[in-house]
Amino acid sequence: MRSFDRLVRFLAYILELLILFTLQETPGLTPAIFGVRPVLVLPAVITIAMLEGEVAALAFGVAGGLLCDFGLSGVLGFHALILGLLCFFVSLIVQLYMQNNLLTALLMGFMAIGITVGLQWLFLYYFQYSDPGHAFTHHYLPKFFYTLLFTPLIYLLNRGLYQAVANPET
Amino acid sequence: MRDFLKSSSFKVLIITVVVLLGLILYTATAGGSFLGSLLGFSSAPMQGVTAAVTENVTEFLDLDGLSKGQMRSLVNDLLDRNAQLEQQLAEFENTKQENEQLKTQLSITSQRPENQLVSASVIGRDPNDVFYGFSIDKGTLEGVAVGDPVISSRGLVGVVSQAYATTSLVSCLLSEDVKVAAVCVDTRESGTVTGSVSLAASGLLRLSYLSGNTQVQPGEVIVTSGAGNAYPKDILIGEVQRVEKSENDASRYAVIRPSEDLQHIRDVFVIVDFPGKGEETARIEVNTDPGGGEDTEQ
Repeated sequence: MRSFDRLVRFLAYILELLILFTLQETPGLTPAIFGVRPVLVLPAVITIAMLEGEVAALAFGVAGGLLCDFGLSGVLGFHALILGLLCFFVSLIVQLYMQNNLLTALLMGFMAIGITVGLQWLFLYYFQYSDPGHAFTHHYLPKFFYTLLFTPLIYLLNRGLYQAVANPET
Repeated sequence: MRDFLKSSSFKVLIITVVVLLGLILYTATAGGSFLGSLLGFSSAPMQGVTAAVTENVTEFLDLDGLSKGQMRSLVNDLLDRNAQLEQQLAEFENTKQENEQLKTQLSITSQRPENQLVSASVIGRDPNDVFYGFSIDKGTLEGVAVGDPVISSRGLVGVVSQAYATTSLVSCLLSEDVKVAAVCVDTRESGTVTGSVSLAASGLLRLSYLSGNTQVQPGEVIVTSGAGNAYPKDILIGEVQRVEKSENDASRYAVIRPSEDLQHIRDVFVIVDFPGKGEETARIEVNTDPGGGEDTEQ
């Protein structure tokens, strides 16, 4: 029964990631603020990591990262590696040291999304293109804050899903 | 299931749906959004047809004189009829869109019959792409390959940077990765068109390597020169907005307004083949491959 609940939950997470990826990629759906749009998959995998074990968190981090890689013309596996590692450690930190609540989700989101966006700027922009300062202040920083805005909503969605499907004995 | 419907997660789901509906309404009212235009485009005729059918039926029948069973039967008939009309409307919209694409393709092909085109629709724009790249619904199965130029009915749009089986990623002209050999139509001065992050947000391009005493003026039209055989010759790129001095040397550069709205383009054409395509590349391969040079050239 417990494994069946986990299976249902994981299938729901996969569906959620696919829907959020479709939403973030659809032209004109999410309104652009300062010319940037949110990366909805980032808060999704981070909040899933807060609710699941570290191995499952790693798997969902990799899956979400691969989706990001697929949407962007670049190195396949860049986001998968970063998000896989981040989700693994987020899961461990929340299990061992922190309470699982909205404030923690915001804190983890701030940290993990910040690291991801910072590494995107460093590896996907700084070493390849001109005017990195302008790109950071006009694209990456607004994208970070805009993506962070969705963390509470996606965390509540994932927590509701977890509570609805989790076995009461667990 | 019933517990789930009463749970907090379901409430969160409802809130999310409401937020997304708000988002859709926002994009519909703000204008210019792809989904908003598409929804309005499809729902308006459907509502018109439904309203007309309902009005005609209401005029024909005295509804007050019908029994409850007759009313239910009538409603069911109308619902069935409505479903059929919606299906027909969806097919009509698809056919209409395809017709528009083919008409545009025919127009472009008749202008330049030597180019082989594949029509495609923009299906995604990744928020991680600083330079507004996008993905299209055609891939290698349709003959699309990395390096193929992408155009619209208004001019050059970009180049295919990755090709999968059924989809491809396109780097648009706003990207620093895309460099196009270009020439001014009037003065015949040549340069390289590329993007930059500061200009990309405004949807503008940069024509670099103009001489210090350039004669290029605002309003001049810029087209591809065909040098290097990466792009066909004489494809419209845009119009000069202003000419400025380069930051690094004595040369000047022109800021160009592209002929196409690169940040919101929806339908494009991939030039999968054109005269002279890849000839320069083949010659380079010959020079760098001492073992099998002649084979490569063939």
